[in-house]
Amino acid sequence: MADAAAAAAVPGDAPAGTTVLDSLGEDITRIVYPVSACMLLVVLLVSLLSSPSSPSPLSASIAAATGGVSGGGDDDIPTALITALTFVVAVTAATFLLALLFYLRCTPCLRAYLGFSALAVLLVLGGQVALLLLSRLRFPLDAVSFALLLPNAAGALALAALAPASVPIALHQAALVAVAVLTAFWFTLLPEWTTWALLVAMAIYDLAAVLLPGGPLRVLLELAIQRNEEIPALVYEARPVDPRHGRNWRLWREGTQPGADLDARSTVEVIGEVLGRNLDANSGNSSSSHDNEADGDVSNSRPRVTLVAAFSSSDSTVAQAGEVSALPEHRVAVAEMSVPLIQPRPQRSGEEAVEDEDGIGLSSSGAIKLGLGDFIFYSVLVGRAAMYDYMTVYACYLAIIAGLGITLLLLAFFRKALPALPVSIALGVVFYVLTRTLLEEFVVQCSTNLLMF
Amino acid sequence: MTLAAGLGYALIALGPAFSLFAGVVARKPFLVLTVLSSTLFWLISLIVLSGIWRGFLPIKSGAWWAYAILILTSVALQEGTRLVFWRLYKKMEEMLDAFADRISKPRLSLTDKMLISLAGGLGHGVAHAVFFCLSLLTPAFGRATFYIETCSKMPFFLASALIALGFLVIHTFSMIIAFNAYDERKKSDQVFVPVIHLAAAVMTLVNLAPGGCLIGTPLLLVMAALTLQHCWRVACQRLTEHRHQQHNSN
Repeated sequence: MADAAAAAAVPGDAPAGTTVLDSLGEDITRIVYPVSACMLLVVLLVSLLSSPSSPSPLSASIAAATGGVSGGGDDDIPTALITALTFVVAVTAATFLLALLFYLRCTPCLRAYLGFSALAVLLVLGGQVALLLLSRLRFPLDAVSFALLLPNAAGALALAALAPASVPIALHQAALVAVAVLTAFWFTLLPEWTTWALLVAMAIYDLAAVLLPGGPLRVLLELAIQRNEEIPALVYEARPVDPRHGRNWRLWREGTQPGADLDARSTVEVIGEVLGRNLDANSGNSSSSHDNEADGDVSNSRPRVTLVAAFSSSDSTVAQAGEVSALPEHRVAVAEMSVPLIQPRPQRSGEEAVEDEDGIGLSSSGAIKLGLGDFIFYSVLVGRAAMYDYMTVYACYLAIIAGLGITLLLLAFFRKALPALPVSIALGVVFYVLTRTLLEEFVVQCSTNLLMF
Repeated sequence: MTLAAGLGYALIALGPAFSLFAGVVARKPFLVLTVLSSTLFWLISLIVLSGIWRGFLPIKSGAWWAYAILILTSVALQEGTRLVFWRLYKKMEEMLDAFADRISKPRLSLTDKMLISLAGGLGHGVAHAVFFCLSLLTPAFGRATFYIETCSKMPFFLASALIALGFLVIHTFSMIIAFNAYDERKKSDQVFVPVIHLAAAVMTLVNLAPGGCLIGTPLLLVMAALTLQHCWRVACQRLTEHRHQQHNSN
């Protein structure tokens, strides 16, 4: 039996042999947990703050703004399509502008812009959400304390989000998730058809922008690859933290397994390996399994695989209203460009230890990076599903996670830049429709009669 | 009846699942992924089922035989899906073993395989509990409670949570029994699992009669205990056999 053979092959190690199962899939779970946390927070916020009996003053103002534009204010399909289209056009323009700035090596501009947008989201949106929560939960907090706490918290989180090297990684990740949650909650305040149209339009845009030769994201990525630089952007990195060292700096995983070319923890490698694509790269490098190919050709080692989703939150409907004075700065493209989903380390000399170079046999660059735009749109979908019923929430959550998994599979298979939004959004929308039309009726019919199987 | 009650019902239905998750599944990331994919799989089977039955709903309240047919078809479909799940699992096991050989690490041990089947079963149980119980619990967080006509002694949410608990245990552990049976080709266990599933599902038909839930729910929990005991026996047996084989071969 296979078990006996396996047991015999590992001499005298019956109880505690670490098998492949121990660490496989770790990098995927490290990205699934924060995505789930973000979705959970948005669902909680939506269910707390969007009771139909008392529409929040914000949604009323947005409704008024939309109504003012479309001259009727009803939430119908043509209005939704027009809004979505406007949004996509704005996002495209913003991304081209960013690409231009990147091309001109205007990195301070980009960084300043990022900082400004993160701070704006945290201060303005965060402040308004906090106010809503305070009034809904009847939490006693006076105005002076609030005025002291809010700017401090917003500033600290913005700093944590933008300067990952100087802040504990947990705080950095929490700040990014906070930004995503706030932005996603705001998007859910749009009327229903508009939200769905927006999601579908962004998914299509993402697909086009990454895969078409003239797409802005593709241009941006190619520039980054050419110059071997990282695009300054708000991306969520799921890098493991080693608590042994007493400081919460990020540590690259050390792949010091003798004779092991592949790190079992990098699921993408596993998938690629299993699908037989890894064989060329490995056979060429198996002899130098420990070499720090510091200057090794990037092309020879694991090729860069990237997943991109970009967005910029230009709430164009509100922008046209003009009355809402606080909002133009969040009309500014909060370009959370999410760049490489799976990013092999760029060749950084100096501070980082040599172990994280790209050579085969060293630490897997299994640190999956997912852009904040993906977080936001996933959470918008789930938040909108929460406005209907919790059954749709669960179904859409599972669909989105499945979409993420499928995207990773495709990534390992195709090994080129892939957008992270389309598959998940498509699956999410399909499951939402199916649940709402088919499943709900069936399950409610069964379980209200206490009939289960 | 407020937050406490709602949380209480949710924990009745899902408490053991949380403990299993935190204690066993969360330690190995692969098992977390298995739980998620298993949940998705069973959700798809539920959607297919509801697609098939959509045309016949809503069922008139007197027609208990319609419900019986519904239960029969649902259980049949789900058992068929279990076989499909088994095939997928076998393929994945091959891939994992090949990968383990490649990086010269030991292959999947017996404990690993049982853990994967536990995670698969947990996914099934969680899917059931979430969709049949948790998604209807939202009103329980409000101010009042709800009784249905045929069950006037227990709040609806409590009955639903207890039944969901029973089914969670049944699904989780019957997956272990089933995978073990398919692996060892034991006919008796292969039959045991669908029979238990069918029996438990038919048991819930009792709930259609007035006052039936007072009989049905405890019986269901008894069946859950039965499944648990059988699974314990099967697992112990398998593990001691395995250890003997190892000793003999060493």
